[in-house]
Amino acid sequence: MIQLQKISRHYPVGFGKNYILKDVDLTINEGEFVSIMGPSGSGKSTLLHILGLLEEPSEGQYLFEGERVDKMNEKKRTQLHRGAIGFVFQAYHLIDELTVYENIETPLLYKNIPSSERKSRVADVLDRFNMVAKKDLFPNQLSGGQQQLVGIARAIVAEPRVILADEPTGNLHSDQAKVIMQLFKHLNEQDKITIVQVTHSDVNATYGNRIIQLRDGNILP
Amino acid sequence: MLISYLKIAWRNLRKQKVFAAVNIAGMSTALCAALLLSVTAYREWTFDNFHENSDHIYQIVSEENNGGTIRKSSSISVPLSAAIQKEIPGVKAVTFMAGYSLPVRYGNKHFYLDTEKVNASFLQMFTFPLVKGNKQTALQQLNEVVLTENSAAAIFKQEDPIGKTIELNLSGKWQPFIVSAVAANLPDNSGISFELLTRFENEPDYATYKSDWNSSNFPLFVQLEPGVSKASLEKNIVPLLHKYYKGRIEDMQKGGAGAKGQDVFFMKALSMKDFHLDERSSFYSGLNTFYPWLMIILAVLIIAIAGINFINLSIARSFGRSGEIGLRKSLGAMDRQLLLQFWAESFLLCCFAFVLSIGMMLVLLPYYNRTFGHNISLHIFRNIWVLLGVLAGFFLVTLLAGGLPAWKVARLNIVEVLKGKLGMGKSSALRNGLIIIQFVVAVVLISCTSIIWQQLNFIQSAPLGYNATQVISVPLDNATPANIAAMRSRLAEVPEVKSVTAGMLNLGMGKDGSSGNWTRGFEYQNKQITTQCLVVDYDYIKTLDLKMLSGRDFSRDYGTDSTAVVINEKMAKLLDVADPVGTQFSMDEGKPLHVIGVVKDYHYESLRKGIEPLVMIINEPTALNYIFVKVETPNSVSAINKISAVWKDINPLAENAASFLDENTQRMYRQEQRFSRIFMTGAVLAVIISCMGLFAIAVMVMTQRQKEIGIRKVLGASVSGIVLLLSKDFLRLVLIAVLIAAPAAWYFMDRWLERFQFHINIQWWVFVLTGLLAVCIAFITVSMQSVKAALANPVKSLSSN
Repeated sequence: MIQLQKISRHYPVGFGKNYILKDVDLTINEGEFVSIMGPSGSGKSTLLHILGLLEEPSEGQYLFEGERVDKMNEKKRTQLHRGAIGFVFQAYHLIDELTVYENIETPLLYKNIPSSERKSRVADVLDRFNMVAKKDLFPNQLSGGQQQLVGIARAIVAEPRVILADEPTGNLHSDQAKVIMQLFKHLNEQDKITIVQVTHSDVNATYGNRIIQLRDGNILP
Repeated sequence: MLISYLKIAWRNLRKQKVFAAVNIAGMSTALCAALLLSVTAYREWTFDNFHENSDHIYQIVSEENNGGTIRKSSSISVPLSAAIQKEIPGVKAVTFMAGYSLPVRYGNKHFYLDTEKVNASFLQMFTFPLVKGNKQTALQQLNEVVLTENSAAAIFKQEDPIGKTIELNLSGKWQPFIVSAVAANLPDNSGISFELLTRFENEPDYATYKSDWNSSNFPLFVQLEPGVSKASLEKNIVPLLHKYYKGRIEDMQKGGAGAKGQDVFFMKALSMKDFHLDERSSFYSGLNTFYPWLMIILAVLIIAIAGINFINLSIARSFGRSGEIGLRKSLGAMDRQLLLQFWAESFLLCCFAFVLSIGMMLVLLPYYNRTFGHNISLHIFRNIWVLLGVLAGFFLVTLLAGGLPAWKVARLNIVEVLKGKLGMGKSSALRNGLIIIQFVVAVVLISCTSIIWQQLNFIQSAPLGYNATQVISVPLDNATPANIAAMRSRLAEVPEVKSVTAGMLNLGMGKDGSSGNWTRGFEYQNKQITTQCLVVDYDYIKTLDLKMLSGRDFSRDYGTDSTAVVINEKMAKLLDVADPVGTQFSMDEGKPLHVIGVVKDYHYESLRKGIEPLVMIINEPTALNYIFVKVETPNSVSAINKISAVWKDINPLAENAASFLDENTQRMYRQEQRFSRIFMTGAVLAVIISCMGLFAIAVMVMTQRQKEIGIRKVLGASVSGIVLLLSKDFLRLVLIAVLIAAPAAWYFMDRWLERFQFHINIQWWVFVLTGLLAVCIAFITVSMQSVKAALANPVKSLSSN
């Protein structure tokens, strides 16, 4: 599903280049649950951003479902953001001014889904996450774990094929983290959603079925 | 989607109250000011536009080229009108307009009506619809008058005015007239104003004027056939002038006026659409052509300042919302969707401001009209074009003020935004540039205000050469010379009165609002001399405390004084003789006059003009229009009341009140006063709105730098050090603005001061003071916030994440 071929990412320093990622080859198949690990500065987040089309590689080829991403136009990329890829952030990134319900609804608005279907899909997701009672609360009225649940709910409401999670439990304590990770596992196994997560935690990494270790921009074999 | 945007916008506004308040307050004030100013400008530009023939009506003005100086006049000889109509092809109609305020009597009731004496074609030329009567026949007979609805209602109450007889007081005699028609009340944008129309032939000396080519007394208006151009009219007049003014042109050329073969005497046509703003026209409003532009420029500047606040605050605020922006992008929002969202928020805010500004305008309108002497009514908004214009302007403002930040936001780099790297840094070029622009405008306006104020102060306190504080002028209205004599003898009994005289022209501008001059040319020792001429009465020099340099004042003891003149220094210099006293010359082929005295130059006209040569003569009592009374009393109010009472007793028809000459000279500079008030208001608004913006920006920067401040404090920085650190960035911007603004203001004001022959020199310290003022205001604004930030407990800012 995702194929990276000799992906590099660098920025200029003086006359030379400083590589964040160098010649990364990576294939992720549909239905996998991959954990990317590595120390700070090893390029985990950059890799995830490249996978999520938020950043472009300096060199190399990226094929998303067999299609070359660098050949895609802006519209096609936006389509992928709207439909195929869901993001979960460490800092949740909920919109403070919107209620739980409205936050979850936002991606559907961008997908131009009709109002009735929007309602039923948001209701489904709320139901599934046991958050129906909280739907009219604002993010700052929720605990961190609950906020991240909303974040995940928002990521899956548009029914993406891939979820990219950047340290989804980084701001949570271990009990909450466990809930979230189990949710991811469930999504991966039941809903067949491909999940790529960046994490520091060995425990969290074990929820996945493959671990990729990054060191200084290279994947350790 | 749109509903979702508006929801977010609304919740955001409620959350960030400082931001919303500053934006709405600034924007609505600016919109209100701009609305008033631009509506005023629109009104000035559309004066007299209701006349159907306005494209074909012209006023004829004459210009004489007296060897370098061009003398312009709107007074035309009466016989020229017949010549123009008969001899120039394409002229449809002509009319003179002689306007006065005339006493009118109906039964035993007296009225003063603003009268225009016009030719029979007046009602066909100009569009003043009649509500009663027929415009073809309304002024057919010499003894017919046309009233307006208002004046008819005042005189006749419920009665039908048509066919009724009223009496007009023409040069002291009551004469009967028949009301033949009633005109609709004049539109408020009409330059021509009248309450009563009658035929021009009723002008008292019409019989002599009719064939007198030498005197020019009344403004002349011409209507051309459609398709005939102004240029052809001006060209066709030339042969007429050569034919009828042959002697005059030759005299002028002999006197050295104009180069060989060059025309020395010609006539120009003013289009009706220029009447309001062209100073040569008889219906000149007293407003400079530049004045409406000035209002537009001010409106734009004020809106720009408020718009800059808007832009700066929106950008600053949207950095605080960078998470949301990044998130939306990752959810698949296109740039233009984000653009639309942020623009919608600005639009919402602008709409609030707009509604508020309309409310403010309704409240402020009467005050505005009073302060600036305008006459704007809300009727102007019934005009669909004005409404559309206002709406279009509003949309443009929201597009710029809301669109620019939205565009900037939408282009933010998503990854950096998500990582939270994009804070509003210590400075941003755009923001700083905009703040500089704001303060440039504010400083320019402040320094202009101060220079205009200095100049006004200068001309109002400049020694005029005559006694302005103790002399009262009484407009004679239509009194006769006998009234003047009666007044003299009655005032002799009033103890406060020191002396009494009379003159043709007022000094300054009296409550009657009229002014004028009489320019005469004559030949002296083969030199063409042009001078102003003033008819005075005995004791003129004594009453006004003019200083005699040599010779004597007019005196009743000398029988020969009827041919005597007193001249001023400028005239003496022009005559260029060793001892001017005793010099003889004659004006206009009249009898020879001899100089009996020379007075020191005094400012008998405004200080805009230099002092011109002046000849005072005494033998024309009918030309006297004002009585001057010198009083010596600690209680000037009671003195003026006493004198007014005496005058009312002698001339019950007197209409205009007496006034002190110093009041009159102040009144002469009304336009400048208005100018300064407008600048002052603009400056105050600019400063307030700029400071509001600066304050809000300061609030945001301080919030952003809370952590830095905390760290610095922990490391041992003093409160004053931190205040300075935080304020310094802003003060630097203001200083740059002062440096840019000073030369601009200097240039602009230098041009303005050139309009005055007598003016102050712009001092460098004006700019230093204004600069200091601006820096102080900015510092106070910023330090309100920076002191608070510096005093805050560092533990708090550092523990918060």
